[in-house]
Amino acid sequence: MAYTCDNQTMKGAVEGSRGQQILRETEIRDGALERKHNRDTRIGQALLGLGLFLLWELGSGTLVDQFFVSKPSKIMESVWGMLIKEDLLYHMQFTVTEALAGYLIGASAGLLSGFLLARIDLVYRIVQPFIIGFYGIPRIALAPLFILWFGIGISSKIAVAAVMTFFIVLINTIAGIRSVPVQLLQVTKVMGASEWDLNWKVIFPSATPFIIAGLQIAVPQAMIGAIVGEFISSNRGVGHLINKASGWLDTPGLFAGIFALMIVVLLMNYGVTVIGNRLMRWNPKYGNMREPV
Amino acid sequence: MPAGKPVIEAKDVFRAFIARADHGKRYPILALQDANLAIEKGEFVSFVGPSGCGKSTLLNMVAGIFQPTAGEILYKGKPVTAINTDVGYMTQDDNLLPWRTLRDNVEVALEFQGMPAAQRHERAAEYIAKVGLCGFENHYPHELSGGMRKRCALVRTLIYEPDIILMDEPFGPLDAQTRVILQDELLKLWDGTGKTIVFVTHDLVEAIALSDRIVLFSRAPGRIKQIYKVPLSRPRDVFHIHAEPEFPAFFDQLWRDLKEEITEVELRAK
Repeated sequence: MAYTCDNQTMKGAVEGSRGQQILRETEIRDGALERKHNRDTRIGQALLGLGLFLLWELGSGTLVDQFFVSKPSKIMESVWGMLIKEDLLYHMQFTVTEALAGYLIGASAGLLSGFLLARIDLVYRIVQPFIIGFYGIPRIALAPLFILWFGIGISSKIAVAAVMTFFIVLINTIAGIRSVPVQLLQVTKVMGASEWDLNWKVIFPSATPFIIAGLQIAVPQAMIGAIVGEFISSNRGVGHLINKASGWLDTPGLFAGIFALMIVVLLMNYGVTVIGNRLMRWNPKYGNMREPV
Repeated sequence: MPAGKPVIEAKDVFRAFIARADHGKRYPILALQDANLAIEKGEFVSFVGPSGCGKSTLLNMVAGIFQPTAGEILYKGKPVTAINTDVGYMTQDDNLLPWRTLRDNVEVALEFQGMPAAQRHERAAEYIAKVGLCGFENHYPHELSGGMRKRCALVRTLIYEPDIILMDEPFGPLDAQTRVILQDELLKLWDGTGKTIVFVTHDLVEAIALSDRIVLFSRAPGRIKQIYKVPLSRPRDVFHIHAEPEFPAFFDQLWRDLKEEITEVELRAK
């Protein structure tokens, strides 16, 4: 007897029945609730942001000396001024390039070496203390060294950003791969999985929550790497602008630079989050089954 | 019992493991000793015995997950020295891949074999229908109930038609009703396929209802104590297995022999 799925309805309800009506009503109510939740979140975020700005704007000059903290209206003025006169966008393009290139190089190197290290047990045992040792040194202290090696141009900042990213991604990748359940490996091997299958269909997906977490943590780190590189020695980039503003005791200019960086980091983080959510649809924490209204 | 050359043979098999005491000292322990057994093609054989008696150890060695410390395991006359991909292997945990939907989980072994997608989908659809999981093909494991996940794990193992299916307490974590229903489904899926099943369980009723022969292991360090032929005909009605006239006497004998192996401590704990 051949089995097909046509005549079996375990999931839904019979056409035109009370059950089907309930399913449809639940769907409509759930959609409305979902929209309301999303709207409430947006409103909450807008209110919180506005409140912080308002507190800053009104508190500056009354609670705290405006010289030290500036105020949002002044900062926006300064952002605008920098956009026109100082070529904020021109400087941002260098900083973004440095952070992004460093991030991509560091992340791919971290992923690849993490994968190889974690998969070969003897190699892992040998290098493990060395990795922890290198991870333990304040990597930002390497920045002057990199400027010595790679010059004051863009490449030394890329190197700092890459080193900042590399170790975080490396360590998370190793942790993810080493936490793959042994039984999952056994069962799939018995089913005839090749080494390639094991890597791509079992080990890598199983490690993605760790890897994505590492990639997210590394975003601001890459930016810190690029900016610190620029602080130490540069003639362009947002770090250079901030440095200059601080030299002139231009607090609004300083905050304007910080504000621009924050926007960039938020955008980069958003990108990683979108990719992460896409890769982890299967994860209950990101999952889609929940209690109806 | 069908006659012929055995598909699985254990010859003087011993298996030791290294354990670690809580103060970090490593010491060897014996999990299985002096096991001799022959299983014929098409047989349904159950392993029963107290906890830690080496049932799962023997099963894992047939799958080639690890090798005997001494003696040898033969599969179709040849020693098993690496992972044995001719077997299907199902454990207490369903071990579904959480990042794959039900359909993709059912298809995974066919995918490893390199079967074209269209053919895979067709075969999977048939097996999914056989266990009544229609409509859940695109659900992830965490969206399925325990019984549904078990069915998925079962057809995932059966779909690539391995010669031998090794099952290590597969229905252990299920509730009593789902358990019997799945036993019934297993027998129906197995009937007429000529596949060999080796089934580890703690449940004597389950062992009697399903098997042709039952292998009783002694307490740790385990050895094979006795092998019984189940005095029931097929097809079996697992829902009313108690009502079979041969059942009570056979169950009593099995339980008496098993009881000798369960230590005082274990009995008191129960």
